[in-house]
Amino acid sequence: VPELGRAALVVCFGLAIYAVVAGFWGAHTRRRRLSRSAQNALVAAFVAAAVATGVLLVALVSSDFSFTYVSAFTSRELPLTYKLTALWGGQEGSLLLWLLVLTGYSAAAVLLDRKAGRELVVWVVPVLGIVAAFFSMLVVFVASPFDTQLAAADGRGLNPSLQSPYMQAHPPMLYLGYVGLTVPFAFAMGALLSGRTDERWIVATRRWTLAAWMFLGVGQLLGAKWAYEEVGWGGYYAWDPVENAALMPWLASTAFLHSVMVQEKKGMLKVWNMLLVLLAFALSLFGTFLTRSGVLNSIHSFTESSIGPWFLGFICFVVASSILLLFARLPLLRSKTRLESLVSREATFLYNNLLLVSLCLTILWGVTYPILKEAITGESVTVGRPWYDFFLRVFGLPLLLLMGIGPLIAWRRASLSSLKRVFFWPTAFALVIGIVLIVAGAGSSLPGLIAYTFSAFVAATIVLEFARGTAARRALSDETVPRAFGSLVARNRRRYGGYVVHAAIVLLAIGIAGSSAYDTSRSARLAPGECLSIRDYRTCYRGVNSTRTSNAVETRATIDVFRGGSRIAVMHPGKNAYPVEQQVSNEVAIRSDWLTGEDLFLITEQVNGNGTIDFKAIINPLVNMIWLAGLVFVLGSVITLWPDAREERRLAVRYGRLAPEAHA
Amino acid sequence: VIALSVAAALAVFLLYSSIAGGGTPALRPSSLAGHTGKVSLSGQVLKPVSGDAHQGGLHFRLRDVNGTSTVPVVYRGSVPDLFRPGRDIVVDGRLQNGVFVAVPGTMVTKCPSKYTPKKT
Repeated sequence: VPELGRAALVVCFGLAIYAVVAGFWGAHTRRRRLSRSAQNALVAAFVAAAVATGVLLVALVSSDFSFTYVSAFTSRELPLTYKLTALWGGQEGSLLLWLLVLTGYSAAAVLLDRKAGRELVVWVVPVLGIVAAFFSMLVVFVASPFDTQLAAADGRGLNPSLQSPYMQAHPPMLYLGYVGLTVPFAFAMGALLSGRTDERWIVATRRWTLAAWMFLGVGQLLGAKWAYEEVGWGGYYAWDPVENAALMPWLASTAFLHSVMVQEKKGMLKVWNMLLVLLAFALSLFGTFLTRSGVLNSIHSFTESSIGPWFLGFICFVVASSILLLFARLPLLRSKTRLESLVSREATFLYNNLLLVSLCLTILWGVTYPILKEAITGESVTVGRPWYDFFLRVFGLPLLLLMGIGPLIAWRRASLSSLKRVFFWPTAFALVIGIVLIVAGAGSSLPGLIAYTFSAFVAATIVLEFARGTAARRALSDETVPRAFGSLVARNRRRYGGYVVHAAIVLLAIGIAGSSAYDTSRSARLAPGECLSIRDYRTCYRGVNSTRTSNAVETRATIDVFRGGSRIAVMHPGKNAYPVEQQVSNEVAIRSDWLTGEDLFLITEQVNGNGTIDFKAIINPLVNMIWLAGLVFVLGSVITLWPDAREERRLAVRYGRLAPEAHA
Repeated sequence: VIALSVAAALAVFLLYSSIAGGGTPALRPSSLAGHTGKVSLSGQVLKPVSGDAHQGGLHFRLRDVNGTSTVPVVYRGSVPDLFRPGRDIVVDGRLQNGVFVAVPGTMVTKCPSKYTPKKT
């Protein structure tokens, strides 16, 4: 059976190579049949990758320990769902998943966007083929998931801290995002290769970029939620390079999503957009490289890793060839218009882009600086939280403010009187909120206070926009308020979906500011009967007990939680010990207050022989806003993604030959 | 063009500020001698581990991951789940009279697996 998987991958590799060669040759000589055959090769490559994935899944489910991969990441007693998700538990499987998603996206993009301009698509196919060829080369020659061994009696099992529903969903979400960025990149390169550098490639890939961007965002929030509940140190994001690896392409693609609007409307920033899509794609490769190559531990483990050098080489190849191509086509990318005023919507988009890219490059620097320093001087450094937090404030807070200004300011040039009219109420609202917050004692953290005031400002502008739009529709069509509201959103999905996403970012900002600027933590050694007070909570330790389960010894402390004189909860923070894996894991207890969004977070850090425990209590205000933001974020993204027949027709008219069903 | 030049200016500012302001030196036990400031030390935990992290402090020795030099370490505060002899850890602190005194709560384990996040 492993032979079938291996053969499927070899076929996939061959098809990808064929797609590259036939695609380039067909596009160059304008032979339509050859180009069509290259497209079919990509679709067939997807089928081959699916067969290989199927083989590995069957082996995982049937616990076929003659597969090295199966025995390394599963064991017999592991529940079925975890056996399935072990597909992305290790390096080889993850690469296979990358390949599967990539060929799937490529096949779908080629089939769906076939009519989006034939001259464009014929050049997109070989670009997609190059990326597919690279990944199938890796799984065929360098890190095969189908290596076999003498069948072991039992596998080594899955790391207990990864046995969480969030960890099941987190990696595939990230991969859908990482890989999804390949499509806009391939279309951008296709546009350059074909010389059709109008905004058609942007229109054709808007939904692809949005979908990839949504998956990346959701994947990161799932990872944050996992860290919060499972890793148990009281936080959700630690600026770990592995986390930054996912954040960077997200920031770059956020910048891209905004700046393409300027190109669509004004024909400006063409070169910039090309650079952004290249940056986003290169960072998604870099992210895979960071998490997979072991370069983070030290330079030395990097050179020992099998795929690291390949990845680095491929990233250099992609960046160098794209930039060369961009230079060759520079004359075609002249802007049609110029920036007229520094106070206009175009300018706001520009500031937003600069801030996002700066933040992204800062993080990139923070991640690579220690690696470079070690490579050059032999001594490494660690770049800590304060450094990242500082730059998050420097770039993040102005971004938050711009999010309120951008959507309301006029294109081309905004006059002073229009600014006054549009921004009077939001500013007044924000100032009032700011004063109320100072009175309420939020002045203890200046960045927190600024974040809240800005959030109030943005929230006010969003509410105003919705209210104005609804009122305008009511004036037009005499509809009831909810109907007018519904049709307003339905008729302008991009615009109002965007506002919903902005609202999600406001929630996120409130959550992050609340939990990082106004948190409290206390710890103590408690004997049974002793209590620890934290703000208005009193936590009293009653005792500790242990139970044996099939694969772990579970120790749980019993904590009574009092607030305002009455007992509001009994919580059980503890530890699990896994004898087989020889590992302990913190099992924290969290009580969420749904009214205030505040969490009481309890950790039993150590259980002592005499029955005392070392105990830590943390209050994270507003942290639940972050998870709520995730839901609103998905809602907003789905609204903007939803197919819109009216928009298609408008585009079809605009591009003449473009058939309306092209973007279904 | 304006955008690119502004971005370039920002990039220069970043490079400057990060080299000037950011980062604690990250060292191995063998290269620790002579450093008196705060550093981040990484190495492998050796047996025996004694003491109590929440009272007098946890005592153990750290060795170069691929070497022989060792240094005694005293640590107080939260101990990550994955901490045990044989594991690689990173901890912040400073050398005082031949003993590396760690800043409470800064210990982080490095997992042998490439996939699992290192923060605990």
